[in-house]
Amino acid sequence: MIKLNKLTKVYRTDEIESTALNEVTFDIQQGEFVSIMGPSGCGKSTLLNILGMLDKPESGSYEFLGNEVGHLNEKGRSDVRKKNIGFIFQNFNLIDELTVFENIELPLLYNKINASERKQQVNALMEKIGIAHRANHFPQQLSGGQQQRVAVARALITKPPLILADEPTGNLDSSHGNEVMELMCELHEAGTTIVMVTHSSHDASYSGRIINLLDGQIVSEKQNKLAQAAV
Amino acid sequence: MFKNYIKVAFRSLNKNRVYAIINILGLALGLTVTILVFLFINDETSYEKHWSGYDRIYRTGIIADMMGQKLDAPISPDPMANAFRTEFTDVENATRIRAVNQEIMVRHDQTKLYIQKGVYADSSFFKVFDYEFIHGNAETALNEDNAIVLTEETAKKLFGDKSALGEVVKYDDRRDYIVKGIVKESKGLAHFQFDMFMALNQGRTVWMSNNNHTYVKLKVGADFNAFKTEMKRNFMKKIEPDVERFMKITVEEFLAQGNAFEYQLQPIQDIHLHSHKDYEIEQNGNIMYIYVFIGIALLVILIAGINFMNLSTARSGKRAKEVGVRKVTGASRKMLITQFLTESIIQSFIALFLAFILVELFLPGFNNIMETNLNLFNDYLGKTVFFALLVTVFYGLFAGSYPAFFLSAFQPIAVLKGDLTKTKGGALMRKVLVVIQFTASTILIIGMIIIFSQISYMHNKDIGFEGDQVIIVPLQTDPMTQNFRNYKGIFTKNANVLNVSRASYFPGDNANQNMFALEGSEEQLPLWNMEVDYDFFETLGVQLAEGRKFNRELDNDSIPSYILNETAVKNLNIENPIGRRISDNFGNGEDVVYGNIVGIVKDFHIEGFNQPIRPMVMRISNQVWFASFKIAKNDMNTTIDYLETEWNKLEPSHPFRYKFLDEKFGTLLRQQENFGTMFLFLTILAIIISAMGLYGLASYTAEQRTKEIGIRKVLGASVGQIMNMLTKDFIKLVLIANIFAWPITYLLAKNWLSNFTYQIDMPILPYVFATILALIIALITVSFQAYQAANSDPVNALKYE
Repeated sequence: MIKLNKLTKVYRTDEIESTALNEVTFDIQQGEFVSIMGPSGCGKSTLLNILGMLDKPESGSYEFLGNEVGHLNEKGRSDVRKKNIGFIFQNFNLIDELTVFENIELPLLYNKINASERKQQVNALMEKIGIAHRANHFPQQLSGGQQQRVAVARALITKPPLILADEPTGNLDSSHGNEVMELMCELHEAGTTIVMVTHSSHDASYSGRIINLLDGQIVSEKQNKLAQAAV
Repeated sequence: MFKNYIKVAFRSLNKNRVYAIINILGLALGLTVTILVFLFINDETSYEKHWSGYDRIYRTGIIADMMGQKLDAPISPDPMANAFRTEFTDVENATRIRAVNQEIMVRHDQTKLYIQKGVYADSSFFKVFDYEFIHGNAETALNEDNAIVLTEETAKKLFGDKSALGEVVKYDDRRDYIVKGIVKESKGLAHFQFDMFMALNQGRTVWMSNNNHTYVKLKVGADFNAFKTEMKRNFMKKIEPDVERFMKITVEEFLAQGNAFEYQLQPIQDIHLHSHKDYEIEQNGNIMYIYVFIGIALLVILIAGINFMNLSTARSGKRAKEVGVRKVTGASRKMLITQFLTESIIQSFIALFLAFILVELFLPGFNNIMETNLNLFNDYLGKTVFFALLVTVFYGLFAGSYPAFFLSAFQPIAVLKGDLTKTKGGALMRKVLVVIQFTASTILIIGMIIIFSQISYMHNKDIGFEGDQVIIVPLQTDPMTQNFRNYKGIFTKNANVLNVSRASYFPGDNANQNMFALEGSEEQLPLWNMEVDYDFFETLGVQLAEGRKFNRELDNDSIPSYILNETAVKNLNIENPIGRRISDNFGNGEDVVYGNIVGIVKDFHIEGFNQPIRPMVMRISNQVWFASFKIAKNDMNTTIDYLETEWNKLEPSHPFRYKFLDEKFGTLLRQQENFGTMFLFLTILAIIISAMGLYGLASYTAEQRTKEIGIRKVLGASVGQIMNMLTKDFIKLVLIANIFAWPITYLLAKNWLSNFTYQIDMPILPYVFATILALIIALITVSFQAYQAANSDPVNALKYE
């Protein structure tokens, strides 16, 4: 599904040039659940942003579903993104002015799905992840765990083949965090490809492969037997 | 999708109520001003348009320069209308009128009515101006010399529900008229508004005496320029015999001496806004007001628009996350721009709704100040609504586009990570906008002060007479006029009646003009002549400059005595005027009766300050129709009651009706005063909107710098230091705005003041004052926020981050 070849990203300010990613090369197959780990500033978020086409690489190639996407313009990236990728953030990033229902509905709106179909899909998904009773609440009326479930639902609503999660449990206590991780596993089992950035080795243990980054380079990569056994 | 935009727009407004109120209220006020100005312009430009073929109707006039005495007046001689009708193939019809510029008392049986606006008109009048006849016939109504036509309202007042046609109307008990027609009040606005039309079919054949207003209506398809040329040629021939008879020179010689004399044609549709000549029937409007009001409306809209742009971009940090999320979930930049524009247009429409309510609320006040009769729900409602919608949509797009482009450009990764440094951009743009906004406000403040300085200057200017204790009473009947001089003692019995006198007209009235010549000079000069009695100068407090005043002992009836004003002496160019002889009676040269100039009085104003003082000559006459009483300041009401009682004994048929001279003269200033008052209101409105915007911006700045303020306070900064830090930037902007505002206003004000013959020197003070005022307003607005920020607990500020 994803093929990175010598992907490099450099941040420049007036005086300083810092290399966030240094010739990173790896593949991700359809249906994988991959965790990216590493200390702060190692480049893992940059990598996730490039994977999510929110950011452009400096050099190297990024093939997504067989197409080179690394150098598409914003509109092109936006088109690929809205059809194929769902995002989950550490700080949920729900729109405060929209209700739970409306937040989840948003990607469908941008994909020009008609109203009745939107309603049916959103309701079904809310039911599935257990927040249907909160449909008309606003984000600030929910607990952190509930908010993140809404964010996950929003990421899933278009049934994207790829989910990118940036420390999805970072702002949650452990029991809520576990709920979210369970949800991720269910997704994975249903066939969704997941790439997750995390600090937590506990969370990483849910995934099938762990990539360790340091100073913009992959330092180790290992299969996670435990998780595979779980599958 | 659109529904989603609208939903978010409303929720976002609800969440940020202060900003929403500033934006919407500011724009609503801006739109209110725009709609009011639109209604005003619609009204002002609608004049004469209801007459059929109005674009073929012209008023004639004269532009002349005789012996350095300039005349520009829409007046014409008796035979002109007839000459138009009989000698020009291009003329459909022509009419002449003489407006009566004083109140007329008419009577039918026991019903008395005071007609404010009467007119003498020839039998063609209703063929040129198509009033709608309810009774009678437009073709023939004014054919007979004793014919009178009344408006429906006048007829109702005089006759009640009785049929008026064929009934007798007594004019001032001097003359009987027969009602030959009842017309509807004219459908639209015109430069004249008459209640009563009396036949005017007699006339002299002289071409040099101009006592009429003549209107000519051309045939469809007539070549105006060719007609005008032909008219000038024809009429210049007509005046030849008169010029030779009165001036003893040919027209060629007359013109060769550096004189000018020309007949003019003025489209009637231009009269209301563009004509400010001598002898207008009524005071006309002024195109300048329209320009100024359009200017103000644009400034107010600009100020409100800037509020919108500034507050939207300043607040962008709050919207940044939303932008990020929307982009990540698939929104393109175009979609986001559409969304933000939708929001601004929604706000604009809420404002529009409010604006229509405000217009309804403000209209009575506006009408009161501007003496208009504007109405939102008139025939133009559709046009007004369309215009307002257009402005609203344009405004929504104009004010919304900058924030829309600004906000939609955010990079999602940055804003979603909580890095808002990028969203703090636009600060320079905001500063530029604040400068523009305060430039606009300062222009209005300076303009307002200059306008009021000029008005107050005109009020306080030495007008050459004292009118505050003088009341004017018209003499309505011949016996009263004849015998009034014998009645003076009756009035002065009351010690509070200080003086009693008469004159043919008073300051604030239309003057008469005649040709005069000094003995031994062939040259004739037009002078304003005024007939007075012996006590006139005392009553009005007009000062003597040279010689003596009129005197019962020294003046005799066979040789008239004349008193000139200083301007007349200057224009006649005489060294020692006292004892020189002057006349306006040239008959046929043999029996010219010259009178002695016995005194010179200091100039006093008859007209408003947009006109220079005219050369005047005064003489004694018993045939004058206005009495005046100077009364003591104490017990004025009792004194007036006394005068009324005594008057009504002498003249039971015509009740005592008076006006204070200063109020009468004051009406000349009224249009300017009305304009000034309106300008004041609009300026205050503009300042309020500016201040609201600044308040919003200041509160945002304080909010944005909360952490900085907290740290500074922890490190020992005082409240004063923090406030200083927060206000300093805004003050700088206001000062920069003043640098732009000063020269712009200087040019505008110079232009406006050039309308006045008597104008204030362009003072520096309004500029300084406006700058200080703008600073104070800015300081108060900003300090309020700064004080709150500076006094907040630093712990909260630090925790907040």
